[in-house]
Amino acid sequence: MKILSKIKHRFWLFILFFGVAAVYAQDIPKPMYPPCLVNDFARLFSPEETRALEQKLRAYHDSTSTQIYVVTVNDLEGYAVSDYAFKIGEEWGVGQKGKDNGAVILIKPKVGNSRGQVFIATGYGLEARLNDAYVGRIVRDRMIPYFRENDYFGGVNAAVDAIIERLSGEFDADEQQDNEGIPIGLIVVSVIGLIVILRLIFGNNRHINNGGSNRGGGRFIFFPPFGGGSNRTGGFGGTFGGGGGGRFGGGGAGGSW
Amino acid sequence: MRNIKILFSVILLGAIFSGCGYNTMVEKQEAVASQWGNVQNAYQRRADLIPNLVATVKGYAEHEQETLTKVTEARAKATQITIDPENLTDENIREYQQAQAELSAALSRLLLIQENYPELKANQNFLALQDELAGTENRIAVERNRFNQLVKEYNAYIRKFPQIIYAGLFGFKPKAYFQAVEEAQTAIKVQF
Repeated sequence: MKILSKIKHRFWLFILFFGVAAVYAQDIPKPMYPPCLVNDFARLFSPEETRALEQKLRAYHDSTSTQIYVVTVNDLEGYAVSDYAFKIGEEWGVGQKGKDNGAVILIKPKVGNSRGQVFIATGYGLEARLNDAYVGRIVRDRMIPYFRENDYFGGVNAAVDAIIERLSGEFDADEQQDNEGIPIGLIVVSVIGLIVILRLIFGNNRHINNGGSNRGGGRFIFFPPFGGGSNRTGGFGGTFGGGGGGRFGGGGAGGSW
Repeated sequence: MRNIKILFSVILLGAIFSGCGYNTMVEKQEAVASQWGNVQNAYQRRADLIPNLVATVKGYAEHEQETLTKVTEARAKATQITIDPENLTDENIREYQQAQAELSAALSRLLLIQENYPELKANQNFLALQDELAGTENRIAVERNRFNQLVKEYNAYIRKFPQIIYAGLFGFKPKAYFQAVEEAQTAIKVQF
């Protein structure tokens, strides 16, 4: 009994250890899994539209490493639309680390009496080409006219085209391989490290317990939930590993209708 | 006498043992200083946009001379104040913030007048400037938050044991935060 409670204790310690990261940011939704560029939480697009958009963004990502996320939410949870977009950008790590070439197109649809709101947040690396004035023009001239007609796909599609056109030639895919290589190595190392640690801990227990049965059961519980950052095949045939650690500094523009 | 000797060697040993503590203090201090540079850059960016904005508005709203003058004056005042990262004291930051807050207030009055001038409101250049201005306010907010975060880390670090024993000795003083001033808090609301 004593040993059992000891194990329980350790179990909670581990949960605490790995749980902290998950609890850290709660107000912003988690990116969809498997990772994808179109996160349509508000369900504004039909499945075909989502697929078409995802395909376009994925192709652009694969050729330039630039990540353009499209996120729709029904509720901004009290945030200004711009703050919400920056938070998503920072917490999901939209864009590649070092290049900071990510953008978040956030849409809160017009529901009932509340105004529709849209914001395009640009990562540090995109600010030079996609300055706020230009983004503002995209929002005003290309998106909101569609949104007024309730055509969310049309507006987003037009904005994505405008962004891609503006950014052409700015980034290429060179570093992508590197970026994907690091997490795999890291995961392998941490898994091995974890097994060693667990061996040490539970190895001790076996001594006291004289070959008790809790060893095997315990070891697998603690495999950490590596998921968000790892490379998984999405539904599109290509691999997309989610956000690459890009940073945002407040660039972008938005509007409402 | 002996007591003093012991005390002295304890302090010295502490300092030697946590030599990395000293380096960390330097690093954290440098991080604060460079972030302060970012904060000032963000404010400077705003100041740089203003002449352009004033010129655009002037073309459409000549009767608003007073509002325009106030903005120009507030800008001149705000750009005069810069703080060296060495002197990030409460008083200095408050003064800096006060000047920037006055500029914010003058700016928001300027942006309000567009309601009376439909032609100005529809002017592409004016719209673009408004977007830039809104983006600049966002950048200011981001940089200020990061600054406060770094100051917090630095202040907490130099107050911890054993750093606290010799932080003062080497001249590591706590640095001041950006406070949320009433006017500054309500960042310019740009209507679309």
